[in-house]
Amino acid sequence: MIIDLDKCVGCHACAIACRAEWEVPVGKDSADRERKRNFVKRLGPSNTPHGLSSTYYPALCNHCDKPACVDVCPADKVEVTFKDAKTGATKTMAVAATWKDPFNGTVQIDKERCLGCGACADACPYDARYVNEDGDEPKADKCTFCVERVAEGLEPACVQTCLARARIFGDLSDPNSEVAKYVKKGAARLESAKVKIGPNVRYYGNKKDMHLLTSTCTPQAMPQANLRRTIMARMMKPAMEQVKGLGLLGLAGAVVVKGLSEDEKE
Amino acid sequence: MALNLTRRKFLQTASLAAASAAMSGCFAKKADASAPFVRKPFTAPGSFAGTTTAVGGVCEMCFWRCQLVGKVRDGQLVKLEGNPKSIDNGQSICARGNAGVKLLYDPDRLKFPMKNVGKRGAPEWKRISWEEALDECASKLKAVVDKYGPQGIAIFPHGSSAKYPMTFFEHVVGTPNNSEASFFQCRGIRDTAYVATLDVAPGENVDMPNAKAIFLVGCHFGENVHVSHLKRYLKGLENGAKLIVVDPRFSASAAKADIWVKIKPGTDTAFLLAIMNYLVKEGKYDKKYVEEHGQGFDQFTKAIAHATPEWAAKICDIPAKQIKEVADMLAANAPSVSIHPGRHVSWHGNDFQRERSLACLTGLLGAIGVKGGFVAGKGPKSGKAGWPKPMAEHAEKYALHKLAKVHPYSPPGTPTDLIRNAAVTGKPYPIKGFVAWGQNPIQTIPDQALTIKMLQQMDFVLVCDVMPTDITMYADILLPESSYLERYDHIQKGTQWNFADPHQQFITARMPLVSPTAADHERKDSVWIVNELAKRMGYGEHIKVQSGEDMTDKILAGAEPPLSIEQLRKEDGIHVQPGVDPYGKALDVYFFSEDIAAAGFPGAPTYIPVPEPPKGFARLVYGRAPVHTFNRTMNNAWLHNEMPTNPVWLNDESAKKMGLKDGDSVMLVNQDGVKSRTSTVVKVTPGIRKDTVYMAHGYGTMNPLMTVGAGAGVDDQSLISKSAVDPETGAHGMRNNFVKFIKDGKELSIPA
Repeated sequence: MIIDLDKCVGCHACAIACRAEWEVPVGKDSADRERKRNFVKRLGPSNTPHGLSSTYYPALCNHCDKPACVDVCPADKVEVTFKDAKTGATKTMAVAATWKDPFNGTVQIDKERCLGCGACADACPYDARYVNEDGDEPKADKCTFCVERVAEGLEPACVQTCLARARIFGDLSDPNSEVAKYVKKGAARLESAKVKIGPNVRYYGNKKDMHLLTSTCTPQAMPQANLRRTIMARMMKPAMEQVKGLGLLGLAGAVVVKGLSEDEKE
Repeated sequence: MALNLTRRKFLQTASLAAASAAMSGCFAKKADASAPFVRKPFTAPGSFAGTTTAVGGVCEMCFWRCQLVGKVRDGQLVKLEGNPKSIDNGQSICARGNAGVKLLYDPDRLKFPMKNVGKRGAPEWKRISWEEALDECASKLKAVVDKYGPQGIAIFPHGSSAKYPMTFFEHVVGTPNNSEASFFQCRGIRDTAYVATLDVAPGENVDMPNAKAIFLVGCHFGENVHVSHLKRYLKGLENGAKLIVVDPRFSASAAKADIWVKIKPGTDTAFLLAIMNYLVKEGKYDKKYVEEHGQGFDQFTKAIAHATPEWAAKICDIPAKQIKEVADMLAANAPSVSIHPGRHVSWHGNDFQRERSLACLTGLLGAIGVKGGFVAGKGPKSGKAGWPKPMAEHAEKYALHKLAKVHPYSPPGTPTDLIRNAAVTGKPYPIKGFVAWGQNPIQTIPDQALTIKMLQQMDFVLVCDVMPTDITMYADILLPESSYLERYDHIQKGTQWNFADPHQQFITARMPLVSPTAADHERKDSVWIVNELAKRMGYGEHIKVQSGEDMTDKILAGAEPPLSIEQLRKEDGIHVQPGVDPYGKALDVYFFSEDIAAAGFPGAPTYIPVPEPPKGFARLVYGRAPVHTFNRTMNNAWLHNEMPTNPVWLNDESAKKMGLKDGDSVMLVNQDGVKSRTSTVVKVTPGIRKDTVYMAHGYGTMNPLMTVGAGAGVDDQSLISKSAVDPETGAHGMRNNFVKFIKDGKELSIPA
């Protein structure tokens, strides 16, 4: 996805359309993390070497080339077969509860298997994930690039509602696509020396706005791995294994095991 | 810190699993076991899954009225989207439009008729039946009419649903005392100034997509959001139009501008006069257009001859060079220039003259009826339905501005200040009945103390609204209204948004997207409420429409070709037909107006200086937040979350001198010693003048029943205690108030 800051007027429609589409609750999941899939940060007016600038940081999951969130997922891996929508080719991989699709490049979450530990959210340098605790169990949540809508022939919710057509969604691997043209024009990734994981949302704009955006919104360090959380996630497993082994279950146990047994089917 | 909550949840889940294991076999959870266990899905299904699409929605999160569809699942509205058939907003809607769902299901919404058994301003609410509410409203209002005459009632309406009650009180009951916020605190000055100059109310009718230059005075598009309007603006920029933005602040539009004119607030007319004088002197105006369509041009040029760029430069605190640069840029791109008339223009009490100047500048550049210029689209015809006008003449006779022979260029209704003064003084006649319908006059009108005084002296106060607001706290009877998603009440017409596209026109009617009835409330629409009031007050014979649906169908029947609700539904909510070419219509331009001069005002546009900030104070300027429509949306959980407060913008150098940092919490105090009730944060930026501070309007509501919005940010209107009144129109000017900050109980002067 490309975000064209020359067009963006900072109306926040994208953030709200996403909230409506995916029932994203407001508020925080912890002291310092907002519950959101899609957000707009207002920048400036501030001085830049190119003049006074006021612009926006419309942000969502970057569906990175080397996502930091995937490897930290403590859920048991299961074999999943992925299919290329274009060619029909398939690939089978062992994945935890979150993975990067080998064909369409999106990073997705299996909510059934997600443990809700939040390790992935902690690992994201772009603050693009959160833990939704409004359901019956906490689950990690983030932008899916609206693959569900796209499969129905619809645009992502944020793209559809954008009055400025400032969000351009398409296939980067197709050199004739509008997104590829923007990349040729210089649409930039928000990357730094220490955060180089290949984010796939790129920003395009004039010099002063890009300066303000990149100087204030580029992550400068990868988040520290949260050992405690990973340890706790591991601690939880024996309890579940125990549940799984029993014939008769309490109601809550049934929920957990239903999720596990579905995984096994996969 | 991030760990704690998640950890708690984690351990809960882990222990639940363990507990279940331990309890397995004994079914300890009896209560749950008896009910079927339905698990909430972990993943929201998406608005496209398992929903039906309801058509005919017309948004009213603001008043631009984009066309909507609703995605409905099991009778619940799950999402709003732009109607794909719309040739206006298309599938796009703004943040507020998207958040309409949260208004619909806001738990703080008014649900039942309520009687205030406490005091006005400190209410105690008692739920009553509609029967009792209507009987009491009717008898109290009738008592006012019987004792003081129809003019003893004042109505403060706002929005589509308020039109029916407004016309009832004006035309059937017979009171002239109608104060529409959209006129007297917003755009009325613009409309009458353009009528006086070009003989047409301008709307926002500039052809920005096809302009070579766009000229904005105070318009802050991006912060002020109207979908098709912004589409026009952005298309113009995309097509290479130059953008000139005149604003004391580096607004969202200034950020995209080729020239930002960092003008001293209140001096815009001097700036405009200097541009026009320069164009005339340099011969850089459209001589042919002026010759053919100009009226009083010689008097005009004489009257503005003093306005040199150097003269204006001093007044406006900008370089003379920049004034010439702007004038040259406009001349170079004429006539394809969009001189925007503005929208909220009630700024300083000298605003009629500024709006006249904008209209004259448009004429001077010949930018009328041409590509990129001042061009109005032609929408389709429709019929009329509503109240007859048996008492219109009576109302006219008692109009306060006519009795006092003031404000001859008043927009329709009566200037707010005259109504409030009459109510407070009892002269020339008492005003003892008050009706607010969708308007929140507490946050609309300057001088809250005087507004409250007006309310306290009323015999009866009726308020009807969707949400609790500040004014609802002053109601004797409070009536709950259906929202724009649950009622019929508005016909929206227009054209395709870009005149470069094939000419089309559309007509649509607001239809409910979800049922207005539910077990947990007794809301009603305004047609039903007013008809019931009319019957009880003895005006039943004048009722012409039986319901909102009936009114809508009657208006549609008068369209060409005749339409109906049923037909609109068949056409996916919007009727689209071939349109007409909007270009080619020239308008006469009254550069000097004999009429205005005869009324005792300057016949040529004239700069009238406004009060200066006292030492240590900065001028308070306010504007729009993109996610809010005044106070109306402040309780919307999604919108509140986007911008939970309204930071006060302060120049960075001033902040340094004052020892303030970005994000510091402050309160404000104005020149009259009025303190803000709440606090906000400082936004330190080089993007504002030192003599000006700025905040978004509508925050800081005092009604605790708005559980999301109450106390969030600062109510700018509370600090606007000094009213200015535009002499020609009687509309308010609200930017002649000055503030200091209060930090940790200490007053901080703002250095000049």
